[in-house]
Amino acid sequence: MRKTLALAFAALLAAGLLGGGKALAGTSLLETGSTLVYPLMNLWVADYQRAHGDVQITTQGTGSGTGISQAISGVAQIGASDAYMADAQMKNSPMLNIPLAISAQQINYNIPGLNAKHLNLSGPVLAGIYSGAIKFWDDKQIAEMNKGVKLPHNQIVPIHRADGSGDTFIFSQYLSFSTPSWSHGPGYGTTISWPSVSTAVGATGNPGMVQTCQNTPNSIAYIGVSFLDETNKAHLGYAALKNRSGRFVLPTASTIHAAASSLTSKTPSDERISLIFAPGAESYPIINYEYAIVNPQQGDAAKGAELKKFLTWALASNGGQQAKFLNAVHFLPLPEKIVKLSKAQIAKIK
Amino acid sequence: MASMDIRVGDTARAVSPAALQRTGSQTILTVLTGLAALASFAIIFLILFFLVAYAYPAIRFNGLGFFTSMIWNIGNQYGSGTISRAGFSAQPGASFGALVFIFGTVVTAALTMVVAVPLSLMVALSLVYTVPRRIRPIANALVELMAGVPSVVYGLWGMVVLVPWIGTKLAPWVTTHFGFIPFLGGSAGSGNGLAASVFILALMVIPIMVATTRDVILAQSNSLFEASMALGSTSWQAMTRAVLPSVRGGVVASVLLAFGRALGETMAVLMVCGAAINSFPQNVFGPVNTIAAVIVSQLESALTDASGMAQRSLAELACSLFLITLIINVVARGIMRGADRREGRAA
Repeated sequence: MRKTLALAFAALLAAGLLGGGKALAGTSLLETGSTLVYPLMNLWVADYQRAHGDVQITTQGTGSGTGISQAISGVAQIGASDAYMADAQMKNSPMLNIPLAISAQQINYNIPGLNAKHLNLSGPVLAGIYSGAIKFWDDKQIAEMNKGVKLPHNQIVPIHRADGSGDTFIFSQYLSFSTPSWSHGPGYGTTISWPSVSTAVGATGNPGMVQTCQNTPNSIAYIGVSFLDETNKAHLGYAALKNRSGRFVLPTASTIHAAASSLTSKTPSDERISLIFAPGAESYPIINYEYAIVNPQQGDAAKGAELKKFLTWALASNGGQQAKFLNAVHFLPLPEKIVKLSKAQIAKIK
Repeated sequence: MASMDIRVGDTARAVSPAALQRTGSQTILTVLTGLAALASFAIIFLILFFLVAYAYPAIRFNGLGFFTSMIWNIGNQYGSGTISRAGFSAQPGASFGALVFIFGTVVTAALTMVVAVPLSLMVALSLVYTVPRRIRPIANALVELMAGVPSVVYGLWGMVVLVPWIGTKLAPWVTTHFGFIPFLGGSAGSGNGLAASVFILALMVIPIMVATTRDVILAQSNSLFEASMALGSTSWQAMTRAVLPSVRGGVVASVLLAFGRALGETMAVLMVCGAAINSFPQNVFGPVNTIAAVIVSQLESALTDASGMAQRSLAELACSLFLITLIINVVARGIMRGADRREGRAA
């Protein structure tokens, strides 16, 4: 029944799009999904359409889960997602997972008097905070890695995403990969069953995370790097995180790049791989590919051709990978080898 | 929804079909209104039918644990294999317990009514009897304006203004000075939680209740109030002992309408409730979560559950909300009927 419903809905929407699209251009494409990718897509599409007036691309920021499911149902040609698809989903509906850019996540906090400092935090400490084992900012485990910092004896308010989110996915992956007890407990996913912590608060969307963290003294939150300008404006502090080599690193272009390059050679041809907790002394531990989820069987030949053209442009160094686009959302361009893999995947679109 | 039925029923009773002349146009009107009345039943029945049919795998998979467990876990979407119960499968580690959300829904709505009902009645009565005639149109317009403000606007105000105020001023003050009273002590929290939800919901339902009760009181002839005053009662006595009992049916209908709104409000609550998961609030400032809020916040991830059980369980949550609304309506009507019978009125 789900399929019929989805089909009916797709037909309705397609009819609407075609009806509206006819007046504007020949072919129309719909991109929907991740709200982290959405601002980048808008920059890309605005620029792309100046040179390619014959295709009409509509963008929507709806969330990664919606992006994936609408790419599967055929409503959208591009489903943007912060997370690669799980094996179980791929078995039901094989899709292409094509990386478009590299994103990262910072751990923000609002500790009165300490926000100008970069605290050192590790996966196990964050797992302790989010599971309620570490309750106060001056806990021994936090103090140990922040010698010389005067930590207050205030109760920590851990903020997590209430809605399904790629940010929850990569954050919980960092906790899972660095902390065995977390991996056997809550695990990772776009929504996880958060341990019961009496001070814990759920917030909706990255704007909600920024807002709640800013309003709540002694809180901690995980926020996508696209919101760096907002978190800076809110005067939130952000942490240096302990990486696999045991070093504390800040999220900078060079540490994000280091982490991405360390896993370039390990990226499989279907490009579904986690970049979390990458090896390397300089690697920042929470980075990820932003994906375009695309159905290889487009059905409509004209749509398929336009889709390939747009995705190829998005991956080109003189196209979508230019700094003027990526810098606006603090994303990094894909390494050359990943672009090659992505191009091979794009070639499969029919 | 059911509160609307009461109003439809009242009108039907007032204009008896037998008393109407049977002309051609009258027959057409009777058929059309009959069809419309039938459609309202059919639509509710169809919604319920499809909801239950869609939720059926979840109802079987979750069993009674759905109502008794407080652990909500859609399972590991990146895990391998599936778990299955009663012939239906879900992601590994999945457990769908709605107790936290059912508790949050009922408690926020009930506390909202505790705050909103007395306030609304007082405002409605004063709008009819005590507010100076010159100011009345302005006051009425303001009430209607408040009733028309979209809920997300209340939510935004709650998130930006109310929640920080509760978190930094009200909650610390209350927990320090009144901490000895149960459910007022303990952690002051972040401001997101039960108190903020109730505050926002009360702001949203009070205008609705004021507008509807005011209209019911206005529809009642003024003679009751005047007769009561002539017999020497104070205006307070006239309002509470003569006017209010006479419009009880309308007041209950408006309370039910407001209760339904409070139970089902989604966006504004989601923005201020703290989205609790797997935990109950420690005091009135603690985070809660409601069925409506959790459906909208979890849908996104549920869509990525290849087994589909997370979506089905959200549908089961929706069924529970339907059921809660139904139970409350039936109970309220039962109370009304009982009261009427005691006083020897026709039910």
